[in-house]
Amino acid sequence: MSSAAHMKRRLRERSEHYLMQAAMRDVGKDAPSTVKAYRDRDGLLWRLLFVPVYRRLPWALKQRAMRSLRMTASGWRAPERRPREPWRPPPL
Amino acid sequence: MSERLIVIGGGGAGTAAATIAKRVNPDLRVTLFTEFPDIAYSPCGIPFVHGREIPKFEDLFLSTVERYVEDGLDMRMETTVTEIDLDRGTVTARNTHEGFDKLILCTGFVWEKPNVPGANLEGLHYVKDIRAAMEFDKLLDGMKRVVVHGATPLGVEMAGNLGHRGLQVEFVDEGPWVLSEVLDPDVAEPVHESLEKRGVTLRLGTKVNEFLGDGTRLRAVSTTAGDLECDAVIVCLHKLSNTALAESIGLEIGSTGGVVVDDHMRTSKPDVWAAGDVIEVPHGLSMLPIRALTGSHAYAQGRTAAFNAAGRDHVYDPVWVPWGLVAGDYTIGGFSIGETLATAMGIPYVLAKGVGVSRARYFPGATRTHVKLLAEPDTLRVIGGQIHGGEGVKERADFLAFAAKRGATLEDLAWMENIYSPPIGALFEPVAIAAQNGLAELRTRQPATV
Repeated sequence: MSSAAHMKRRLRERSEHYLMQAAMRDVGKDAPSTVKAYRDRDGLLWRLLFVPVYRRLPWALKQRAMRSLRMTASGWRAPERRPREPWRPPPL
Repeated sequence: MSERLIVIGGGGAGTAAATIAKRVNPDLRVTLFTEFPDIAYSPCGIPFVHGREIPKFEDLFLSTVERYVEDGLDMRMETTVTEIDLDRGTVTARNTHEGFDKLILCTGFVWEKPNVPGANLEGLHYVKDIRAAMEFDKLLDGMKRVVVHGATPLGVEMAGNLGHRGLQVEFVDEGPWVLSEVLDPDVAEPVHESLEKRGVTLRLGTKVNEFLGDGTRLRAVSTTAGDLECDAVIVCLHKLSNTALAESIGLEIGSTGGVVVDDHMRTSKPDVWAAGDVIEVPHGLSMLPIRALTGSHAYAQGRTAAFNAAGRDHVYDPVWVPWGLVAGDYTIGGFSIGETLATAMGIPYVLAKGVGVSRARYFPGATRTHVKLLAEPDTLRVIGGQIHGGEGVKERADFLAFAAKRGATLEDLAWMENIYSPPIGALFEPVAIAAQNGLAELRTRQPATV
């Protein structure tokens, strides 16, 4: 595996790990029958810097960043999810 | 001379690739290499034999080697391919070189091993090979306490089944709830209850520090919750793509560690396809590659590779991943993403939740079906969901994954047609109830514009 591929894999592994940890903490807050996840002491930069910055970015920007880092699949075409009329609340 | 296709791997993807390629192009000479002595059995059924819900391992076999030979396949059982030479078009197995024109790699996965001291002790068991499972099952008869390490789908099935068998089960995972990489906490709650009813002790938020042994034999597991004495540990961590051969011939490896393929299952080298757990494929919503999907995904990918290797043109779509499993006595499922994953990725969503019944409520056996849908806030197109209850979870997850792939909205689902027949379906479909509730909730949040 090339070093670029290795870096990309490492970036994805680490970012997913800390984003999931943060999401579990938020979504699981006050949920019955859950406990605190085990957390290592390492990963301070990921937790204190990467996660908050990632969360502040809009999804469209994150998608663009992932595409430009070539984290998304190439050679694939998703079938069209045909949008209908933009949704509007039905009349009361 | 007709072309020769070599398939490496005898799991779901490999057997599908070999049989379908031969069926599509009978002139093709197809050879399948597998390192194992058995083929065409369901490894996914192994936990249920251990749990004695399925009487015997032989019931898991779906076909025989002889049957594949009758279909015209050249079957090389217990034959490990050790080398591939793409320039010469040969594979090496048992020190013999065999030529090929086309190659399909279906080398599957290997289990992640615990990265702690003692991981090589006797007594750590991995669920994969049916013969090893048969031997382990005999040992289970003499055991009292086991630790299941990893609350993955396999871990949940093993814990529930070994509890059902009457063993004392300690279920250890670092996450805050079971299946926490997939499942949302509200859906995990009934799973916890169901597992505990089967005698499973949940040790969540708990890290395994070391496996302790007497000599070479496992005695206990040292965890952050204390030492757990046990007779065996069933390791159920992540599946890792088995890419050793793929890397040896320079195939591109992606960000998940799987082999990169296009929508025809073509790898980065000409005349080489790959399918199953060794590859990564994009998720339909994010187009981010994912891997280690279900057996049905592996089979469909094997079929796709076969069609294309055999001269047809077949496209495999990005996946929306319907999934489901029985956890204890409770059924859970879903598709695409849940709230936890959407939150982690930062994908905006609105929620639609509802509870219905699986049959007419007066009909014996009716169970509650909980449905949670995630939809895009602007278009209300469905992007994910989770379902739990009794019967009908699988069918709803399958349907919703397909509906999402085609762009269905909450509005579409709120007005969907459904079967009403008391023994099999209630008047009000739980999916439609959830969508209607979601729309009603949204109406209360924003003023009508019409």
